[in-house]
Amino acid sequence: MIKINNLNFGYSKGKLLFKNMSMQLSAGHIYGLLGKNGAGKSSLLKNLAGLVYAESGTMDVLGYDPAQRQPSLLQQICFIPEEFYLPSVKIDAFVKANAAFYPDFDHSYFTALLAEFDIPVAQKLIHMSYGQKKKVIIAFGLATQAKLIIMDEPTNGLDIPSKAQFRKIMASAMTDDRCIIISTHQVRDLDNLIDTVIMLDESSVALKASVEEITNKLCFKKVKELDDTVIYAEPSLSGFNAVMPNFHQEDSKLDIELLFNAVLAEKNKLKPIFN
Amino acid sequence: MNNTFNISRFSLLLKRQWLEFGKIYLISLVVLLGVFISFYGFNYYNITTYKSFSSSTMGFRIPLFVVAGLLFITVIASSYFAHLGQKSRAIIDLMIPASTFEKFMGSIFFTTLLGIVGYLLLFYVTDLLFLTSLQKWYQSTGVAGQLKDVNEFFPYFFTQDHEHLPTVIFLAPSFIVSIFLLGSIYFEKFHYIKTAIVVMIFSGLWSAIIMKSGELLFEGRIPINGATHIGRTKDSVDPVFTILLIVLTLIFWVITYVRLKEKEV
Repeated sequence: MIKINNLNFGYSKGKLLFKNMSMQLSAGHIYGLLGKNGAGKSSLLKNLAGLVYAESGTMDVLGYDPAQRQPSLLQQICFIPEEFYLPSVKIDAFVKANAAFYPDFDHSYFTALLAEFDIPVAQKLIHMSYGQKKKVIIAFGLATQAKLIIMDEPTNGLDIPSKAQFRKIMASAMTDDRCIIISTHQVRDLDNLIDTVIMLDESSVALKASVEEITNKLCFKKVKELDDTVIYAEPSLSGFNAVMPNFHQEDSKLDIELLFNAVLAEKNKLKPIFN
Repeated sequence: MNNTFNISRFSLLLKRQWLEFGKIYLISLVVLLGVFISFYGFNYYNITTYKSFSSSTMGFRIPLFVVAGLLFITVIASSYFAHLGQKSRAIIDLMIPASTFEKFMGSIFFTTLLGIVGYLLLFYVTDLLFLTSLQKWYQSTGVAGQLKDVNEFFPYFFTQDHEHLPTVIFLAPSFIVSIFLLGSIYFEKFHYIKTAIVVMIFSGLWSAIIMKSGELLFEGRIPINGATHIGRTKDSVDPVFTILLIVLTLIFWVITYVRLKEKEV
């Protein structure tokens, strides 16, 4: 669905944010895009959506070059930005003005999502809270039935029950012909939702692996003492939360936060495991 | 699917843009109407109260038409793409499934067509209503019988003889709009002020160049055929300026389209 080849991108000529980045993303997956502040998560998403232009390299999104901003591609992309603006109209008027651009827009699904998110539909969008607006834009995006869903910090501004609703809705929105990419700092919000982790660091992809592959190759567990097998560990109340090679094919639950810190701190130790 | 232009998609885009831009447009028209009513009302009051009128009584209309028109069309054009300077609004707009060409054509529709036509219509209606009222008042007064034609004092603005006006005057609004439309996408903030400053600088430079080259070419020289050439020169300058204005308008439109195409968030 998405092919990125030798992408070079930067906001200033001398300083590249991505150097020769290559990656392929397929339909039927929910990708979690992680990285430090300034690692380029939002920029990668914007590249995919055609909102910025790369210096060199090629990008293929659903068979199109996103930089061309062709309507036939744009109607297949749902982009939920971190910062967004909604006009001072009611939801009905917003839908009437925008939904017609998406030939597969599902009105009944949109209504159902609004009900699930408990959105006051009679209220003007501008009078809603940030979280409510975010829910409206997420509901609208999903109802477009777009093949590629790109979300930049979608859980920012959502309250605790809404985060759980979000996870549930996203899991149910996943189909075999859809690709969902979620960028976030709130890694716990993506627990049990994403099936593939992409981590950006130092101008490139530091890790791209499915949750299954990660838990097959690494073991996340609490240990009392550290030994040579431990790749990375963080002190906890009862010892250490550790990441270590999964020599004995033990079952463990992926701790995204721990993995993220491990990738940043021990990149050289992890690279051979995933190559 | 045609990815460059599709009439149904374009009409959808116009409807969508109206939702946002329509408000700015209508508010500007209301403000404009207020200005017109103030000017016409003040003069109406003076005329009907003091019965002071002459052939120049309605002379305020030309400066009002020019100044208000200039302000209205430039404000409208300058605000069309202004929101693209804000990240949150630019993302939503650029991601709307319409081609860049359709988005550009939408800007031409709202600024050049709707902006200019709306202004002319509002001025026409205001003038028509006030002048009709004034003519009725005039005919009902005792002085009416002493005068041959009511239109001598109170002619409608758009029925006056404009034949002497050069063609370039009729093209000037779209040319000015094209400059401010470009300014609205070129600058990230303070679009109107920045565009106005650039226009002032370029106008100043252009005038200085024309003056200087005129001085260099003609200083110390006497025209051989004198006055007989003046009329002809005027006749030949108008088409030249007309073509120049059309070409410049098209150039500004092309640059605006390219800027929109290259717009990044």
